[in-house]
Amino acid sequence: MDLRWEILVGYGPLFVTGLWMTVQLTVVAIVCGLVLGVLFGLVSSSLDAPAPKSLALAWALKVARAFTLAYVTFFRGTPLFVQILLVHFAVMPLLIHPDTGLLLAGEAAREFRQSHGAFFSGALALSLNAGAYISEIFRAGIQSIHLGQTQASYSLGLTHAQAMRFIVLPQAFRRMLPALVNEGITLIKDSSLVSAIGLAELAMAARTVAGAYSRYWEPYLTISVMYLALTLLLSLLAKRLEAPAHHRGR
Amino acid sequence: MNTLSTRRFLQASALLITGFLLSACGKKAETPAPAASAPVAAASAPAPAPAKVYVVGTDAAYAPFESENTQKEIVGFDIDVVKAVAQKAGIEVKFVNTPWEGIFNTLAQGDRDLLVSAITITDERKQTMDFSNPYFDAQQLIAVKANSKVTKFDELKKLKVGVQTGTTGDEVVTKLQGKTSANIKRFESTPLALKELESGGVDAVVADNGVIINYVTNNSGSKFKTVADKAFQNEQYGIAVKKGNADLLGKINKGLADIKADGTYDKIYAQYFGAAPAAAPAASAASK
Repeated sequence: MDLRWEILVGYGPLFVTGLWMTVQLTVVAIVCGLVLGVLFGLVSSSLDAPAPKSLALAWALKVARAFTLAYVTFFRGTPLFVQILLVHFAVMPLLIHPDTGLLLAGEAAREFRQSHGAFFSGALALSLNAGAYISEIFRAGIQSIHLGQTQASYSLGLTHAQAMRFIVLPQAFRRMLPALVNEGITLIKDSSLVSAIGLAELAMAARTVAGAYSRYWEPYLTISVMYLALTLLLSLLAKRLEAPAHHRGR
Repeated sequence: MNTLSTRRFLQASALLITGFLLSACGKKAETPAPAASAPVAAASAPAPAPAKVYVVGTDAAYAPFESENTQKEIVGFDIDVVKAVAQKAGIEVKFVNTPWEGIFNTLAQGDRDLLVSAITITDERKQTMDFSNPYFDAQQLIAVKANSKVTKFDELKKLKVGVQTGTTGDEVVTKLQGKTSANIKRFESTPLALKELESGGVDAVVADNGVIINYVTNNSGSKFKTVADKAFQNEQYGIAVKKGNADLLGKINKGLADIKADGTYDKIYAQYFGAAPAAAPAASAASK
């Protein structure tokens, strides 16, 4: 096997900007995914909470739960690759299109699609996908805390919101952490799928070289190492969030 | 009851595992037998000479050259040409849809015997594979929105341009804008790049004329216009074989000459592109 690393030399900037793009994409997706995940996770775990007193609120919650179920089912049950193509080539042209955009049309739409289109679609698809998984992580985390804990909080006079905030979530978070880190790592890796819509991220840099030279070891090995560095960095950072043994009550 | 069913389950799984292990051993014991008899079969094989079916790789997302129809058959100009060539050459062929990215590798690794996929013959590609005589004249074409001011290729220098990764369109735009230009947006297929043009994500798409024209014909709502530029070199498509496979290449070239001589090629050409190729070269006929 002969490796011709020199073919990568001229493409250096492509890999650097690609790496930066991948980092931006995953950071946006992780943050948005977390926000979505917490929201939908709280909604879907609200079944265990005492029913709201006002009828309107109870109905609103019911609708929200049905929506959450549909959302999570769709985004967990279909491939991310398909979601990315769907968002970029079907949903976005409907909303943002120079001639027929519902949200944005004309010159502004053209400008937006050209400079941010692929990034926006990619980040949106990744966030929605991550949100679905994270909401399940949250639901499972919350439900894993024994019901006695919330009941004890109520009997101490805490409201449901306070019980969640001070009693349940802090404990649940510790249990959710490994799953959340997993999701973050998955996101970093899956961001490579966004190259399908022409975003110049890390995988696209490798595809460009592979396309130009029909050589696969050098470009793909290079980005493998770069992805590995990113995922390792994330798991190292996450390690610092984990409680040391003496805080875990051992 | 509970413990009983657990025990049952354990027994059942133990049985299953032993069974699996036994069958695995059995298989292992069996394999040498056919292997041993294989040489015999091989030795006796030349007598009936089982016809080798040549596997043809093609990226069937490139109408009208190759695409998949509703019956999952791969159809198109290239396909008909190769079928006709194979018939003349007396060989059997089977088409396998192969993604463009990595298609050349399948040849080198022996997964495919032939490639036909609107592949332009270039000097770079000749280093890693052998090409038949050209069977189609092609040219790059620029697709832009109907109201675009672009009149020639040079004007794309500062614009966002969509291409299919690793195609000759990719190559010429890369040459124009530089290897690391952020303005080149690479897509998996030319139709995806054109879709992006339709929704305003790129200013132009550079790709083979046949495919762009086919897209425009099929998407009358797309409001594209095409711009031809003399700066684009004429390109020729060839059928690729593994480097050094002179035997197969000879058969292909002979078949190609035959179908050109007896008018089969013209018939296929007219079916897909209308005009007769001999009267007007394909490139100019298509791009005007």
